Amino acid sequence: MSFFKNLMKKKAPRTMVIGLDGVPFTLIKKLSENGVMPNIAKLAASGEKYFRQMDVSIPEISSVSWASFMTGTNPARHGIFGFTDLKPQSYNIHFPSYPDLKAETIWDTLGKENKRTTVLNLPGTYPAREHNGILVSGFVAIDLKRAVHPASLYERLNAMDYRIDVDTQKAGDKEYFYKDLFDTLAARVKAFTELWKEECDLFIAVITDTDRLQHFEWDAIEDEVHPRHGRAMEFYSKVDSLVGKLLEMHGSDEFLIMSDHGFCAIEEEVYLNRILKDNGFLEWEKDPPEGIGMLAGETRAFALDPSRIYVHSAGRYPKGRIDEAASDKVRDELKEFFSGLERNGKKVIRQIFLKEEIYDGPHISKAPDMVLLSERGFDLKGNIRSAVAYAKTHFSGMHTRDDAFLISGKGALSKRPHIEDVSEMILEAVRGA
Amino acid sequence: MRKGFVLWFTGLSGSGKSTLSKMVEERLLERGVPVEVLDGDEVRLNLSKGLGFSKEDRDTNIRRIGYVAKLLSRNGACAITAAISPYREIRDEVRKSVQERAAFVEAYCECSIEKLVERDVKGLYKKALAGEIANFTGVSDPYEPPLNPEVVCHTGEETSEASLGRILKTLEMMDLIPKDPSAEYSAEEEAEVAKRLKDLGYLG
Repeated sequence: MSFFKNLMKKKAPRTMVIGLDGVPFTLIKKLSENGVMPNIAKLAASGEKYFRQMDVSIPEISSVSWASFMTGTNPARHGIFGFTDLKPQSYNIHFPSYPDLKAETIWDTLGKENKRTTVLNLPGTYPAREHNGILVSGFVAIDLKRAVHPASLYERLNAMDYRIDVDTQKAGDKEYFYKDLFDTLAARVKAFTELWKEECDLFIAVITDTDRLQHFEWDAIEDEVHPRHGRAMEFYSKVDSLVGKLLEMHGSDEFLIMSDHGFCAIEEEVYLNRILKDNGFLEWEKDPPEGIGMLAGETRAFALDPSRIYVHSAGRYPKGRIDEAASDKVRDELKEFFSGLERNGKKVIRQIFLKEEIYDGPHISKAPDMVLLSERGFDLKGNIRSAVAYAKTHFSGMHTRDDAFLISGKGALSKRPHIEDVSEMILEAVRGA
Repeated sequence: MRKGFVLWFTGLSGSGKSTLSKMVEERLLERGVPVEVLDGDEVRLNLSKGLGFSKEDRDTNIRRIGYVAKLLSRNGACAITAAISPYREIRDEVRKSVQERAAFVEAYCECSIEKLVERDVKGLYKKALAGEIANFTGVSDPYEPPLNPEVVCHTGEETSEASLGRILKTLEMMDLIPKDPSAEYSAEEEAEVAKRLKDLGYLG
């Protein structure tokens, strides 16, 4: 009897995670209420247990947030503090990639339990490496051949006209940019639905094109009379259709839909290194400098994108002169300075985090000494060549830390979530299946 | 010729220094890097024979290891040292001396004392806790963790392969050993990454 029972037993449902890079809770809520995203609307209307605002790791950028998502840890454990870092004992820029991730991913953990995971377009997973399942790397993947596991996926994806990213260099040509966004999304629809057919226990697929649209077109998204507002809404509507299609294929409530940070309008960009220079914390050997290596020995602190402040410590940096005893004093001075920073009577910095307040783990010695969180509208930058402290550029949207979202298909959200909590929810779901 | 360097492991007894030093040695030889390992236990049988475990003797032992490592590294070799080296001041003194002509890479093998007592491969912690061994680092003698190590290996929690990977990655980033071409961005890709990050305003 039990043999037949087992034979008849339906295969346990897989767990699905859909990522919508950079989509804010407040925006997706609005779009679900005004009819642009009807599939999301069904879920959002079910209440707080199904749909919540979420906090993310600091700094609130994709490389850090998605690393926290995929490992369930904070940056001092997973080791990713930004899109850039300085190489040890030097001022040379390093671009952290998948091999720099220092904590175990969800799919590595599940692989040891013989569970298969499909991971599609997740930022921070390049170059692809072997795991029990499928991987198509996301931002900042360069060569599709090195962005896939297994290697046979390369030809399959090429046949679908798959592309890793939109061409943001041409974002100034709006006609081209929108066409590129729609074409890239269409290729993702093909790839995601095709690769859904492959056997797996966990399926993770991320749409990153939402973030690109928001960086360049936030004004068009927010302003209902903007000439390109309709185009932008059409894009979210297509994203919603893809979500609906994936959920329909899935046919189970074992799913999560989420973003990795929020977005808001930029009033002005804020160039931290210029501000540090103008206020006596930083000196260049030559101004404007050709690289961060032109920091002068007198420099007490410098910034790396987007909001990371480093004390120029002796022992950590070749020209650093701040010894351990003086380091706390410099941090205190910086804290006092940034707390009082104002622009046209408006406070610029909302919160200042010392590394030990937000990071905990074995790689804390690689962490910035301080991370700043700005007031909405002030987009912090680590630019080293700006002659001015504040400016407006072609970017219209900036990231926020406290306005990501999480949707749970089975209503498992009993409290406000943090992105570092999500992997545990996934592991529980996959193991319970 | 690439710059020589000292890979200086530090950490409590049983934290994985010797194991990792041998693993790194193998990998460096595969990549054509001339390498010598100065293991703390072995050094005490020859170079530092007769020295005890008082602060003074420990400092002398570390200075001797540091001196030999410095000579090797200034001639383009990699000297890997695997001694507890508990005192920050002496490690920093060796660092300064090595850095005159070569690079210094401090690798901290971090592992909780509870974990080490639980593992206790050599049975030393048991004896030390029972008072049978005097001046035992971490039990009856201090250990001062490094403040800015180039690499931290969380040996109580991660596999030795993971620690090894991190050490090799750090040495690659510091341009001290040839890169593993399959593992990361190529030079052309790095230029492309920089361009893409600039396009999104992440690199000024």
